[in-house]
Amino acid sequence: MKSLIIFLITAASLFAQIAADDIQTFTLKNGMKILVLENSAIPNANMYLFYKVGSRNEYIGITGISHFFEHMMFNGAKKYGPKQFDRTMEAKGGSNNAYTTENFTAYTDWFPSSALEVIFDLEADRIAHLNFDSVMIESERGVILSERSTGLENEPLEQLWQEVQATAFVAHPYMWPVIGWESDIKNWTKQDLENYFHTYYSPNNCLVVISGDVKLDEVKKLAEKYWEPIPNGPAPRKIHTVEPPQTGERRVFVQREVPSPNLMITYHVPQSGSEDYYALDLLSSILSQGRSSRLYSSLVEENQLALEVGSMYSDAFDPTLFYLYGVCNDGVRASELEKAILAEIDKIINEGISENELQKVKNQKLMEFYRTLETINGMSNTIGTYELFFGDYTKLFTAPDDYKKVTVDDIKRVAGEYFTKQNRTVGILNTEAE
Amino acid sequence: MKAIKTQNKKGLMYDCMNVWACEHIQPFIHTIILVLLLGATTFAQFKLPEYETVTLENGLTVYLMEKKDVPLISFYAAFNAGAVKDGIQKGLASFTSEALMFGTASYTKNQIDSIFNFFGSSLNTYAGLDYSGLYTQFMKDHLDKLLPVIKEVIMSPTFPEDEIAKRKQRWIAELDQAKESPRQVIGAYYNKFLFADSPYGNPVDGTKKTIESIGREEIISFYLSEIRAENCAIAIVGDFDTENMKSELRKQFESWRTTTLRMINDSGLLNRNLSEPAVYLVNKNNARETTFMIGGFGVPMNNEDQIQLDVINTILGGRFTSWLNDELRVNAGLTYGARSRFAQYKNSGTFYISTFTQTKSTEAAIDLALKTYNRLFEKGIDEETLTSAKNYVKGQFPPDYETAGSLAAFLIRKYIYGLDDSIINNFENEVNELTVAKANELIKKYFPEENLQFVLIGKADEIRDKIAKYGKVTEKDIVEDEY
Repeated sequence: MKSLIIFLITAASLFAQIAADDIQTFTLKNGMKILVLENSAIPNANMYLFYKVGSRNEYIGITGISHFFEHMMFNGAKKYGPKQFDRTMEAKGGSNNAYTTENFTAYTDWFPSSALEVIFDLEADRIAHLNFDSVMIESERGVILSERSTGLENEPLEQLWQEVQATAFVAHPYMWPVIGWESDIKNWTKQDLENYFHTYYSPNNCLVVISGDVKLDEVKKLAEKYWEPIPNGPAPRKIHTVEPPQTGERRVFVQREVPSPNLMITYHVPQSGSEDYYALDLLSSILSQGRSSRLYSSLVEENQLALEVGSMYSDAFDPTLFYLYGVCNDGVRASELEKAILAEIDKIINEGISENELQKVKNQKLMEFYRTLETINGMSNTIGTYELFFGDYTKLFTAPDDYKKVTVDDIKRVAGEYFTKQNRTVGILNTEAE
Repeated sequence: MKAIKTQNKKGLMYDCMNVWACEHIQPFIHTIILVLLLGATTFAQFKLPEYETVTLENGLTVYLMEKKDVPLISFYAAFNAGAVKDGIQKGLASFTSEALMFGTASYTKNQIDSIFNFFGSSLNTYAGLDYSGLYTQFMKDHLDKLLPVIKEVIMSPTFPEDEIAKRKQRWIAELDQAKESPRQVIGAYYNKFLFADSPYGNPVDGTKKTIESIGREEIISFYLSEIRAENCAIAIVGDFDTENMKSELRKQFESWRTTTLRMINDSGLLNRNLSEPAVYLVNKNNARETTFMIGGFGVPMNNEDQIQLDVINTILGGRFTSWLNDELRVNAGLTYGARSRFAQYKNSGTFYISTFTQTKSTEAAIDLALKTYNRLFEKGIDEETLTSAKNYVKGQFPPDYETAGSLAAFLIRKYIYGLDDSIINNFENEVNELTVAKANELIKKYFPEENLQFVLIGKADEIRDKIAKYGKVTEKDIVEDEY
């Protein structure tokens, strides 16, 4: 083991085939920004369209509408009516999907390069002329209710997560789940959807990333032909709500029949791109990435207290939550697991971490970086999210260096600053309260 | 956990119904499904990159493929020893493959985990019905640090008692946890119902009782009998020089010799005769929805028609606009996703339709699934739909072999199932050659039409009366051990 400790990744090994310079960008007259990465490893390409709208743009009464809207984007426009979007794309060899987060909504198309033009046409049709067919709205409502219920049915942690979010936030729209509350799903109207569309689905609120076997000139020509004529709507309202500082620990209990308790602990932390972002992200890896991580090695393996543990610090535009969670081993009480997790946190706050441990998580980040570059899909998704959250896609390529700057003192400092009792929300899900 | 951060348009539809199995054989899932894919539009034909095959003196098969787009190396090893070799100790193959990492002659379990993690990597094991093994991916500069560890994990595991005991305890608790999630376990119930006591009915991760009965002795005996050079393949794909890698592998693995006698355990794997439609109703008291699979026997791996069969299944339930998803989800709003699939094994296979719906719409969803399925036999497939499906499978094919990991997984499957490279290299032609007439012949030949088997997990009291019409009902409670 000794020889490992001195091992350092050299800067030379950072240079993969793809670099920031390989990405070309242009902006249409209506403000739509497009990033293009030419790569002909396989005869395929993809298109990611990121709309800067997610559940944080909602309000009580229409929670979940961003996600519902995402579904409606497949249900027919002017040139391509109901079902024609999917049918046309699949017949050309393409497939698609979409996902909604608290912060943005992404639409994804994967296709053989020969289908490039029809993809532009399909996307232009729905951005410019989405149609809200009443019959489609109703059947889609059923789909969403099924999506919501199957998530809760199969994942006790998802149920707990909703309650913890709703407890940790009292003001900011991060308090409700992306899927929305059931009564809102059942009651929003066609008018709500139309308003939403006109507010957020404007070309200048969209970022596009195209990677694969394409040429910039061709992409530019098609973008100008299909997308440039689409007019912008009014600028969306800024989210000005700031979550007030938490002034004391909050606790929530969820009753559900389970073999053993589920536990979730969260702390308020700053958003992506903030000064402490890289240190907090590495701290998350230290806690839970790999079997040698703090929480896994101690709680799952050494002390057999948990069957599963994890931590999560996701990208966010606004100050967000750092999550720690676990599922108790057979016969272990939630309070025992909670105590053990908090003891691991205290250990970092009091004793810090070793250089070796820090190097480990930096190496893990470098591996993640390379894995992202392995597929044109990984590239588009990651280039897009860096552009959104860090304001600059080149940050993806400097990320290994940005992580490298973090010191063991930074890790200790952020743990101490954010992981306080006053800033904490604890959720327990169990068959009955202890 | 990351996955639940977002909501997808159709993410679930393409998820494996058997998440438990998926976690263990994740890298292989794609290739299994993909083998099914290819139409009329001309795409740039995708070919398998060049690779070299070497057989060491001890019988170990090695595949080496250079791929230098990123400075990473993917390493896969597979043992021709899956859950079909479990015997009465269900879960033994799966447990043994994980136990390889519990310690070796020179490294403790903690050291193995720490070394891999330190280099940004992790070592993983998996087991399926037909085979088991391990895989990892690491930066090329770390080959000389990690290969000696991998060698020991494969060739000199010590199976320490204390690590076995700890893992057994958690493993048993995890079996209970998995049953909280019907979609994780329905696959095991389905295979059990179809294959009964034949080895393909074995739950890959065993049952509480069988895992409890596994000790160090059984693990060592399974290891000596099954995990041996002549029963193993290694596939390495990534940024390396083939000649150097070859000599490095010889250095590490040539000394692997197992002298004990090999137990030959090839029980006859004949499919039983499904003489009547039947229903397996698994009660889950707190269920709010019913998760179900409907089908029968399918085709074994390496079936001569499998690529074309997959084109047909794409139409029925293999893409978003498939008949099943269109009817159950898009038209009726009964579910978030409905699909169908051929699961292929070495000596057998299943076919199934799978979806889920609210408890009260169980009957409506099953009726609609059956009605939609019967279109295959009653109306068959038309030219336009077939052309679309052919284009779809061809267009979606290349990304399945984009990464070093997916290519290594293919080479492993080549070894285990005797697949020919033409499965990739001739994929497009095979797809193009499928005509409407041939498609409708294949439907009659391979899709089970009669004596369908139904497996449902849901609230039995609320659905029992409605489902008796589908066949003879057998009931079980999900909290019971076994499947």
